[in-house]
Amino acid sequence: MSPASPNEPPGPSGPWARCTAFFFERLGLDDLHALAAKKRVPIHRTALFYFLGGMALFLFAIQVITGTLLSLYYKPSPDQAFESVRAIMTEVDFGWLIRSIHSWSANLLIGVLFLHLLTTYLMRAYRRPREITWITGIVLLVVFFAFGFSGYLLPWNKLAFSATRVGTAIVGAVPLVGEQLLLLARGGDEVTGDTLARFYALHVVILPIAAFAILAVHLFLVQKHGMSIPERVAERRGGEDKVPSMPFVPHFLLRDMVGWYLALGILAVLAALYPWELGVKADPFGSTPEGTKPEWYFLFMFQTLKAVPEEVWGIRNAVFVVLFFAFVGLVVLAVPFLDRGVPRGRTRLVLNVLVAAAVVFFIVMTVWGLLPEVPEVPE
Amino acid sequence: MRRFSTSVLPTLLVAVSAAATAALAAEKKAPGKPTEPENQCIVCHGDSDLWDGDRRRLYVTIKDLAGDIHWQKGLRCQDCHGGNARAADIKEAPHAEEDKFQSLRSQPKDYAKPPEPAKVVELCGNCHANIDFMRRYSPSPRVDQLREYWTSGHGQRLKATGDPNVATCVSCHDRPHGSGLDRGKHAIRAVADLESPVYRTHVAETCASAKCHADAKLMANPAYAYHGRPLGHSQYDQWRKSVHAQALLKKGDLSAATCNNCHGNHGALPPQVGSVANACGVCHGKVADLFANTIMKHRFEKLQLPGCAQCHGEHEIVKPTVEMLGMSGGAFCAECHPKGEGEKGEFGATIAGTKAARSLRADLDHLTDAIQSAKEKVAEAERLGMPLPGPPSDEKLDLGIYLRRASDSLKNARVLIHSFKLPPVEASLAEGLEVTKQVEERAEEALQEYHARRVWLAASLAPILLVIVVLLLYIRSLPPLR
Repeated sequence: MSPASPNEPPGPSGPWARCTAFFFERLGLDDLHALAAKKRVPIHRTALFYFLGGMALFLFAIQVITGTLLSLYYKPSPDQAFESVRAIMTEVDFGWLIRSIHSWSANLLIGVLFLHLLTTYLMRAYRRPREITWITGIVLLVVFFAFGFSGYLLPWNKLAFSATRVGTAIVGAVPLVGEQLLLLARGGDEVTGDTLARFYALHVVILPIAAFAILAVHLFLVQKHGMSIPERVAERRGGEDKVPSMPFVPHFLLRDMVGWYLALGILAVLAALYPWELGVKADPFGSTPEGTKPEWYFLFMFQTLKAVPEEVWGIRNAVFVVLFFAFVGLVVLAVPFLDRGVPRGRTRLVLNVLVAAAVVFFIVMTVWGLLPEVPEVPE
Repeated sequence: MRRFSTSVLPTLLVAVSAAATAALAAEKKAPGKPTEPENQCIVCHGDSDLWDGDRRRLYVTIKDLAGDIHWQKGLRCQDCHGGNARAADIKEAPHAEEDKFQSLRSQPKDYAKPPEPAKVVELCGNCHANIDFMRRYSPSPRVDQLREYWTSGHGQRLKATGDPNVATCVSCHDRPHGSGLDRGKHAIRAVADLESPVYRTHVAETCASAKCHADAKLMANPAYAYHGRPLGHSQYDQWRKSVHAQALLKKGDLSAATCNNCHGNHGALPPQVGSVANACGVCHGKVADLFANTIMKHRFEKLQLPGCAQCHGEHEIVKPTVEMLGMSGGAFCAECHPKGEGEKGEFGATIAGTKAARSLRADLDHLTDAIQSAKEKVAEAERLGMPLPGPPSDEKLDLGIYLRRASDSLKNARVLIHSFKLPPVEASLAEGLEVTKQVEERAEEALQEYHARRVWLAASLAPILLVIVVLLLYIRSLPPLR
C-alpha cells in the first residue's frame, strides 16, 4: 500500500466511518445514497395511500423469512406433510408462532394488495407513463393469489384438500385447455401426492422467482416515474411540481416504518385471537367435509359459482364463471388503456360505476360465502 | 362425412370382425373351456332350444359350467353321471346303463321327474367322503360333510321321510341356490369364491332363500317344528339387523357370525338351550368362560332359559348398551329380578343386588362420559396443533393411543359383568378412570398453554405500540418540512 499523496483529501476518521467508506467505494453505494437523498414523496390529502405499497413489501418480507424457516422442517409428501406441520407446531421452538404469522401475513398481504389496487385506481396512478407499473402490479396480485392457493394445500389437512379439489376442478372448466390445465395442476386426474409436490415446487421455487422478478420491475418503475400525484391535487396546486413534498429519507421512511409496525401489531392481534389451526389430516378417500371453503380472497369466486344456475345461456356454470372472471381480469388489466384521461368523461364514469359495482360485488359475495350454510328444509 | 362412412367404416368393420373371430378362436382353443369336441353331452344339454317346461332343468349353460369348480379341476359330466360322453348318437350310448350312467331319479328314464334328494347327497358323498379321492385336490381335505349331513336337521328329515323340500348339497352350493325343483345349474363354486352362495357374506341369504327358511308357508309346516317349536321364517330379517350382520356385510368383517357359525353348516341344527352359551363362546370365549362359572348359568339351565340369548336375543343381536344393565328403564336385570315380590318373586332383587346393578350402571356411564370428554379435549388440542405429551409413565407415548387403554378397560368391565361379581368390574372401571384422568389433565394443560400463548401474543402489542410511539415522537422531532 502506497502512502497517501499529499494532494488527496484526508480520508474519514474513526473505525465506523472508515468501514462505511470502504463499502460505499466498492459497492457504488454513493449513487443509491444520492438517489435516496433526492427522492421525494408528495404531500396531499390522500398521501396516506402511498404507505400501502411499503406495507405490502414489508408483509412480503415477513412471508419470505417465515416461509424459509418453515421450509427447514416441512416435508412435502402426503405421508409426512401433515405430520411435519404438526411437528413444526408442537416440537419446533416457536414453530406455532412462525406458522401462524406466515399464514396470517399471507392473508393480510392479499388484503393490503386489494387496497393498494383500489387506491391506485382512485388516484389514477395508472396514467401515462405508469401503464406498465399498473400491469406489473396486477400480475403481482395474481402471483400472490397463486401463492395463497398453492400454500393452502401444503398442510395436507381435510379442508385444504377439499378446497384444492374444488379449486382445481374450476381450473378444469377453462374452455379448450381446461383438461390440460387440470392435469398440469393436479399431476393426474385426482388431487394426490403428485399435486402436493407440484404445489410445493410452485410455492417455494416458481412463484418466488416470478414474484421477485416482477416486483423488481414494479419497484424500478415506481422509482423511475416517481410517486403519482392525483390530477385534482396537481390541478389545484397549478402543476405537479408545485405540490409540496417530503424527503423519502428519513421523513417518509420513518412514517413507512410506523405502517410496518402497525401491520406487525395487527398480525400479533390476529395470531393471538385466531391462532392458525392444524385441522384434521386429509383423507383422499373420505367425503368432502361440511363447510369446505377456500380462503376468504377466493370466496367471491366460489360463492358466484354456487349462486349461478347449472347452465347459463347453454354454458355450464363453471365455464361461465371462469369466462366471466377472465373477462373482468382483462378489463382490470386494460384500465390504463380504457381510461382516455378525460377527468369527467363518459369512459371514466363507466369505469367508476364498474369499479364500484365490482367492489360491492366482492364484498357481498365474500360476506355471503362467510355465512354458515343453512341446510335445506324438505318441502 | 359420407367419405368417412364409405371408406373408414368398412375397414373398421373388417378389423372388428377379424378381432372377434380371432378372440373366438382363442377362446375355443383355451383349455378347460366346456366346448371340447369329445364331450357330446354339451351338444344336447347346452342347446337351449331342446329343453323347456319341466325338462328345462336339464339345460346346462356353457357359462355356468365354466365357473364350476369341478369342471375347473378337470372333472367332466361322466365323472359324476357316468355314461359315455363321447357317444354321438343319443339312441346308442350316452345314457346306457352298461356305461354306468347314474340317474338321480327313482325311475331312470323318466327325465321329467326331479332328482331324488338322497341320491344327490350320496352322489356328492361318493367323492367328498372319500379321503383318497379328495387328496388328489388338497393335501388335507375335509371328508366329514356327508357324515355330518345325516346328523343335521335336513339329513335326519330326508332320511326319515324323503321330503323333497329338504336342503341337500346343491341347494346351498349350486348357483342359483334353491331347493326342490329349482335345484342344480351345474355352477358349483369353490367356497372361497366370492360368487359362491356359501361364501361367508352369502350364507345367510342362501339359507333364507325364497324356497327355504324365509318361506313362511313352508316353515309353518308343523312337521318341521323343532322340539315343538316352529322353525319360523323371519330369522334372516332379524339377523340383518344384528351386530353380526352389520359387521359382516357393512364392515366386511369375515369373522362375524352368520348362520353356520351357531348352527353348523353340513350338520345344521338349532343349538340346544344348554349349548347356546357354548355356541356364542366359540367367538366370545372370555364372556362364555365367565358366565360358565356363575350361579346364573345353573339357574338358567334349571329354568330352560337359553343362556346368552335370554338377554341378547337370538338372531337380532344388537350392540349391547349400558341401558341393558340396571333396575329401571327397560333394563334386562329387572325382567327376571323385579323389585319386591312379583310374579317371579322367587328371583326378586335384593336391596344389595339392586344397589350393585345401579352402581355398576352409574360407573359404566361415568367412564363412558369420561372417555368421551377426554377424547374431545385431545381432539381439540390436536386440531389446534398443541403439543400433547404422553402420560407421566411414558411421555413419548401418543396420548390418543394411551386413551385407548381406557376404552379397553371399559370393554373389559362390560365383559366382566358376565361374571356377576362387583369387584373385578369396579377394578377395571377404576383403571379406565385413572387413564382418562391422566389424559384429561394433559389435554387440559395443552389447552391452557394455548390460551397462555394468546395472552402473550396480545401482550406483544405493548412493545410494538411503544416503538410506534417512539417513531412518531422522532418524526415530530425532525426539522420542519419546507
